[in-house]
Amino acid sequence: MSDKSSSRTSTFDRRAFMAGAAGTALVPMTARAAAQDANVPVARDPSLPVEVTLRVNGKDKRLLIDARTTVLDALREHLKLTGSKKGCDHGQCGACTVLIDDRRVVSCLTLALAAEGQEITTIEGLATDDRLHPMQQAFVDNDAFQCGYCTPGQIMSAVACVKEGHAGSEADIREYMSGNICRCAAYPNIVAAVKQAAPEIMKG
Amino acid sequence: MTAAALEPKANMGQPVPRYDAAAKVTGRATYASDMPLDNPAYAFLVTSAIAKGRIDRFDLDDARGVRGVIDIITHENAPKLKETKLFSNGGYAGTTIQPLKSAEIAHDGQIIAVVIAESYEAAREAANRVKVSYTATAPSASFESPGTTTAAAKGQNAQFKEDPEVGDFAKAFDAAEVKLTASYDTPTQHHNPMELFTTSCVWMGDNLVIYEGSQYVYGLKNGVAEQLGIDADKVRVVNPYVGGGFGSRGSMTPRTAIIAGIAKRLSRPVKLVPTRDQGFTIATYRAETRHEIKLGASRDGKLVALRHEGAEISSRPDAYCVGGTKTTTRLYACPNVESLVSIVRADRNTPGFMRSPPEVPYLFALESAMDELAVKLNMDPVELRRINDTTTEPIGGKPYTSRSLMACFDEAAKAFGWSQRTPQARSMSDGDWLVGYGCAATCYPTQMAPSAARVRLQRDGRTRVEIAGHEIGTGAYTVIAQTAAERLGVPLEKVAVFIGDSDLPPAPVAGGSNSTASTCSVVMMVCDQIRQRLFKAVRPSDSLADKAKETVGISPAPSTQATKGDRPLDIEKAFDALGVGVVEEYGEWKPEGAPLDSFKALHAGQPRFVGGHQMKDKIAYAFGAEFVEVRINRFTHEIRCPRLVGAFAAGRIMNPRTARSQLMGGLIWGMSSALLEATEIDERNARYVNDNLADYLVPVNADVPGVEVIMLSEQDDHINPVGAKGLGELANVGTNAAICNAIYHATGQRIRKLPVRLENIEV
Repeated sequence: MSDKSSSRTSTFDRRAFMAGAAGTALVPMTARAAAQDANVPVARDPSLPVEVTLRVNGKDKRLLIDARTTVLDALREHLKLTGSKKGCDHGQCGACTVLIDDRRVVSCLTLALAAEGQEITTIEGLATDDRLHPMQQAFVDNDAFQCGYCTPGQIMSAVACVKEGHAGSEADIREYMSGNICRCAAYPNIVAAVKQAAPEIMKG
Repeated sequence: MTAAALEPKANMGQPVPRYDAAAKVTGRATYASDMPLDNPAYAFLVTSAIAKGRIDRFDLDDARGVRGVIDIITHENAPKLKETKLFSNGGYAGTTIQPLKSAEIAHDGQIIAVVIAESYEAAREAANRVKVSYTATAPSASFESPGTTTAAAKGQNAQFKEDPEVGDFAKAFDAAEVKLTASYDTPTQHHNPMELFTTSCVWMGDNLVIYEGSQYVYGLKNGVAEQLGIDADKVRVVNPYVGGGFGSRGSMTPRTAIIAGIAKRLSRPVKLVPTRDQGFTIATYRAETRHEIKLGASRDGKLVALRHEGAEISSRPDAYCVGGTKTTTRLYACPNVESLVSIVRADRNTPGFMRSPPEVPYLFALESAMDELAVKLNMDPVELRRINDTTTEPIGGKPYTSRSLMACFDEAAKAFGWSQRTPQARSMSDGDWLVGYGCAATCYPTQMAPSAARVRLQRDGRTRVEIAGHEIGTGAYTVIAQTAAERLGVPLEKVAVFIGDSDLPPAPVAGGSNSTASTCSVVMMVCDQIRQRLFKAVRPSDSLADKAKETVGISPAPSTQATKGDRPLDIEKAFDALGVGVVEEYGEWKPEGAPLDSFKALHAGQPRFVGGHQMKDKIAYAFGAEFVEVRINRFTHEIRCPRLVGAFAAGRIMNPRTARSQLMGGLIWGMSSALLEATEIDERNARYVNDNLADYLVPVNADVPGVEVIMLSEQDDHINPVGAKGLGELANVGTNAAICNAIYHATGQRIRKLPVRLENIEV
């Protein structure tokens, strides 16, 4: 259940996954068609690990994982990227927020298999050359956290919030940052941080 | 400078950024479930679907058939654990309900099985395939349910020794010119820290390492050792960062020893990540309470009689209670006081501390009643507090070490614009919005507990501070580093702080807002030991050695201004004279009045608190005043709270930045306590219904438009060496009353039951 350094290319096929995991009713034709191809198992046991390649912070990572593994658990349990946090596993708290192809998503509700071929950016991929990203620096300057557990998700969400053009006013920031719960309630400081970082992010 | 870094006033430290800021914004801060484990097995809990009764049978065939399942632990095959006592009875546990011990079910959501598998996904699937047959009996859910039992708290809870009283309440109330009798209710609430209640256990031979978010690593270490029947020295609890506590991680929960026992049996690390909904029943919560307040006053507003009766829910076996009458009977001058706290037992998990456990519910009642009395007297509620302000508490006649309550009211009132308020209810509006202004007092006992620390100073000024404190978001790393830097006169960036590890010198539980006072006092003391050694080495015959306590700065470039007449020490010379490369000191500190067994208890993971009303000849509290504006839409009844203003005085403020953040978060917690938070209970099944973060409402950014924190300069030399009063639990008290008082002002409707939702407004 960890990184596999096999030289083979991924044999995982989305159709096989659908056939196995969701039952045959959904894609009977595809499954039958696939049966002709000896390389693709048809009645694949859905509990068997599958290979997947995730592109995380600019690097390809090949994994052999349970097909039900979320992006969050793939990052945390298999890639040892524990910056993204599990706060509810239901998409309710935002602690697991990462960027996938520059969109903010709750990684606990995103299957790793569904993120294959997409660019995943986590909190670990934000700083460059030991220099904090402007949003990270703004969170430091404005004391925009206390316990820090929701912070990686807040920062990823904040970066997207600015790029989406939703940081034009304090009211906008409050609204578009409301998917990320901070139980310590650092909210006013988070708003101040987003305001501080926004111009620099838009510029660069 | 940002708004976060408030300009320090007199008796305040520097608003330096958090010591752990970079780690927290880069994702490098490692919380318990982030710790790398070698080939862990994953645990998933199965919890009871009934609240009372017994398990007849498990059908585990289906679950065992899931690929990757290693074992399923039930009461039939669970590792045997020793009995545990409640923390208030000299134990470590937050509950004595021990799951997996028998087929009996004591509450809904009790742990009844643990599935162990090769992956989290397999463990989860198998847990969902566990089939359970129960014999269920009707449970008692709460106050209204048949089958509860009620008894006075006094006599059954060792920490609730007396119902405070003085004078003759009945006679005085009877004769009072103005009388008020009112009842108030507060709901069940759950802490819901962002970090889940995870536990990872790793055995290395006979030694156990536990990675778990804890507010008390020494308590957890000793408690788990006791349950496993092993020497406490063989257990180590590690958590350099804790993802929020709010009281939920102060006492041991049953899960830890269970996971430790399973890991031992498997000879493999085991990692448990419970779900959010399981967190509602495998840990503690703030129990619902009921209150009746009777106030008698003269026409000029002087209190002549006060009675506070409170009732609190607890579990069947455990007499947990918060007993906030110890504070509400002492807050205002009143010669005739009576009180009574009762515990009502139901088929529930045992409640526990949640941020300001006694003060949040009990001051809601008192501070609402004070507002009602002000209305009856046709008096400004601020003036009513002023008339009844006191420098001695009425029960024992002991003086407050310092009390800036009215100064806080005046500062906050000014910042808020209280003078713009027209006193009549329903007299202010803005378009479709009814506008109300309200206020309330807050207070929190100043508490300290024995603590130990080790400090190491190197020739180049690099300093290492070791103390088993806890970083739950309060700024513990930061204020400890600041204390050492100031005391030793070394630059802040040369100080490294190590906390959150039970192999370090013991510190008390991060609870009761005692941490800053306790940990900084001991670190200060140990730094002084180092200075004494260095001074004695350089000037063995000089009386300056004895003055070392007063001498700031032992390096050529102290981080703080040396006081006049100081002679900075040549650190190189001192090290040469001592003939050492490193100076290291260990010390144990206890507050004045701490019991004789303090240091023994310190190492055994049992804090010995001193403070609040339990001090000899004095009483110590921090105070504050909170003002809120509410707006209620006259058509939709939507309630908004656009402004929260709080002024607080808490002795020395170690760091105005981290202090402001705690007070700000507290104000928002207070607002939430009034308008959002309640755990809904299914009365038939004694089950929490809204056990997730979508249905259990906590504030989000859009709920919190304007918060202003004012910190007053206050000096108190009668509490602890650093002169600090705990403030982490100060700001979320009284806010609930201030909001209901503002709602009354906006609408003329008095609401005595929390939380207030739009359906409760009748305008």
